[in-house]
Amino acid sequence: MSETAARDRPDVPTTLPAGTPVRAALASTRNAWADFAAIYTPFTWIVGWLGRIVAQVIFFALIGNLLGSQEQVRYLYIGAAVTATAMEALLVVATTTRERYSGTLPLLVASPTRLWPVFLGRSVQWIPSGVATGAVALFVIGPLFGVTFALGPGVAAFGILVLVAVSTYGYALALAALVLRFMRLRNWATNLSYTLMMLVCGVTVPTAFWPVWVQAIGQVFPLTHALDAIRHLEAGDATAAQVWADVGLSVVTALGWYVIGAASLERLASSGRRDGSIEFAD
Amino acid sequence: MWRIHTREVLSRVQYRRDVVSAVGVVGLRREFGGRRGQPVVVALQGVDLQIPEGEIHGLLGPNGAGKTTLCKILSTVLLPTAGSASISGYDVATETAAVRRLIGIVFGGERGLYTRLTARANLEFWATLYGLRGPAAHLRVDALLERLGMERWADDRVETFSRGMKQRLHLARGLVGDPRVLILDEPTTGMDPVAAKDFRSLVTSLRAEGRTILVTTHDMAEAEAICDRVTLIDNGAILATERPSTLGSWITRYARVSASGVPDERVSEITSAVMEIDGVAEVRLTSPGALLIDTAAEGAAPTVLRLLLDLGVTEVATTRPDLAEVYLRAIGDRGMRIDR
Amino acid sequence: MTTSTLSSRAGEVVTGNVRGVAAGVSRELRELRRSPDQLMALVTAPLLTLVFLAIMLHANRHDLAPYAVLAPALLVLWQMALQTSGDTVESERENGSLEALVATPSPLPAVIGGRIAAVTVVSMLGFGESWLVAGLVFGVWVQVFHPAAMVAIVLVTGYATACSALVLSALFVTTRSARTLQNVLTYPFYILGGVIVPVALLPMWIQPLSRLVFLSWSSDLMRDALTPAPIEAMWGRLGMVLLLGTVALVVGHLLVKRALDRSRRMGSIGHV
Repeated sequence: MSETAARDRPDVPTTLPAGTPVRAALASTRNAWADFAAIYTPFTWIVGWLGRIVAQVIFFALIGNLLGSQEQVRYLYIGAAVTATAMEALLVVATTTRERYSGTLPLLVASPTRLWPVFLGRSVQWIPSGVATGAVALFVIGPLFGVTFALGPGVAAFGILVLVAVSTYGYALALAALVLRFMRLRNWATNLSYTLMMLVCGVTVPTAFWPVWVQAIGQVFPLTHALDAIRHLEAGDATAAQVWADVGLSVVTALGWYVIGAASLERLASSGRRDGSIEFAD
Repeated sequence: MWRIHTREVLSRVQYRRDVVSAVGVVGLRREFGGRRGQPVVVALQGVDLQIPEGEIHGLLGPNGAGKTTLCKILSTVLLPTAGSASISGYDVATETAAVRRLIGIVFGGERGLYTRLTARANLEFWATLYGLRGPAAHLRVDALLERLGMERWADDRVETFSRGMKQRLHLARGLVGDPRVLILDEPTTGMDPVAAKDFRSLVTSLRAEGRTILVTTHDMAEAEAICDRVTLIDNGAILATERPSTLGSWITRYARVSASGVPDERVSEITSAVMEIDGVAEVRLTSPGALLIDTAAEGAAPTVLRLLLDLGVTEVATTRPDLAEVYLRAIGDRGMRIDR
Repeated sequence: MTTSTLSSRAGEVVTGNVRGVAAGVSRELRELRRSPDQLMALVTAPLLTLVFLAIMLHANRHDLAPYAVLAPALLVLWQMALQTSGDTVESERENGSLEALVATPSPLPAVIGGRIAAVTVVSMLGFGESWLVAGLVFGVWVQVFHPAAMVAIVLVTGYATACSALVLSALFVTTRSARTLQNVLTYPFYILGGVIVPVALLPMWIQPLSRLVFLSWSSDLMRDALTPAPIEAMWGRLGMVLLLGTVALVVGHLLVKRALDRSRRMGSIGHV
């Protein structure tokens, strides 16, 4: 009896080869590069994007002039430049919603692979783009506003800039998982996040300016500690212990966001199955 | 040795008798809404359906009949509210990992493809998600491109494709995981007749590979052309399961003849003459000089046409009934229409 | 032409424009209701006030509070103007109604004017919010010392913004890199327009250029309206804003006319 039952239905292997999530994430990056190439040419990226970001950084730095303080100019410049990199990572929300608009979500849910690797790789173009804009602002244009790095600290600062991009990417992934559920919120989510980061992460004023409960909010953004490290590196008074501590805190918060993001994406799939919110293509 | 042989033969016979359906649906029900004062919408009302392996099965119904809901449940994108559905014996709700290996979804239309990538890149992406890697993946992708006649434009970006080419890519994508069951959701919508015909012959050729195919459509002619059996669905309930030839006879039986340019003084004369014909259900005057004749029997329409021509009415045309009309006449006649 | 024909022609033009403005206003209100994105400006404006105000207060410069409260409103005004000019053209083009819109008795400039009028009101709401937030969060209550002047300045600024939006629409219609243009017209424009840092504090070599931007005059005037001292040379400066706006209007008209002429020759108004 059990023999026939076993022969009743075909044998289906349900385990995927090891490393499939990694390969899936890599396969997804092809869409990321294709999207980037479709939006930007080298000219439009330099003039339309880099130019605008540098202008934004200068816009904030000039407030230092208003305050009559060279110190303030440097403070605001560094804050704005590093935040530019973080801001670009927030574009993950835009490319993630684009994935939903392409109508592939039901196909992704129905495939043997989970959702999170696909969305992890989907928006990677913003990391090199963000690091490039931040780096140009910080190291190329920065000296014009009194922002200078010694060689060693400069290299370290560049590394931390990469960390800013990758860590904010995790936060943005979690945000994107939320927005996939409530698509209309996509612009709200990015703009509010960006403005909030500017407010509480020590970008325009030191975190100590705020009451403790506001400072606590700032702690959840990976940007806060990374920016602090970069400031010390530029000022030349960074100690290795301090920098590593800042890096460590950034990494920990980022990991937290990555986990939340992956979990939220899987929740999206399971709740979508229950309430029918995953639409087939029209 | 004899005993072993007998046992083997017996077990094989037993296997064929107990063979599991490729698609098995029992009492499947799906409701939406019902929270926060929203009305409950019943998309599927306790549907039963068994599709044996290797069959091309059509699911025919108007928009909103529940075809897509059923497809979503079978492809594990939607959970049922009650009842069960299984693919080759694996339950879609509790054994999703296995089901996802067994099915392939084929959309119709524009969405579901990565338009900024090439056809090959699209297929390679999905091949990765289905656990293929390296040479195995390339082999599968190449084979699919060749099988569906896509080699020439394999490395062109999908956004440059015509509707017909995109549909082939949809089909290739659905086949990437080598599924036993293919689910095609309205695949030929928006396709021109020639491309649709080509696509249909591709689909029927898949039968030879032993795959089971479920096709949803609202086009009776298409259902008749490619399916082994057709299930009619409306308002979330299955009305009947028919052979394609039955569908064909409905199409010819319920044809409609329209005549225009009938002079006013001859309308009643022509009307009564037409009503005399066996199989004419109704004659209506839709506007001055325009008559609409509904038939209800095979061969009635040609007879009506000949009569009209004999009577000197030359502006005539026949139209095939659409799905709604067939439902009304054929199913309604049988008293099988189910209202929600 | 007889006088009656002349006056009826003039009457036509006037009613066309009035209808256009009304259409523009209602269109903008519909957009705002439909897409919550536009209303987002009303949420980010007060937050930006907090950002700017925090900078001032941290440096113990309470006297700069008016600057911090005003800046977000100007940012919102210009951002929405950009969006509207791009929008009006893009969505009409997508609907295929661009040709119809340009050809109707309600001319495109009037429609845009109507939309910008609505946008200006929204941005002033933003100013109100910023003012409220500054008071509630930091206890800093900015005073409008010259309210009548402020109203005049806002009206004139709205006019100049509408005129600029027309030029922008014409540019967006005819150019391929609309997005690049939009990006360039944000922060570089805010710097030249003295949105938060008065133009007088910019390097000498850039000041002439910024004086060509109407926003630089407007922002200075608005800041003066928020300080107790009497506003110097107010009429002259208001005149500059009007002048720059009108120049933009003329240029905009010429560009639209050229685009129309080209469309009649080539058969389509939109670029590919």
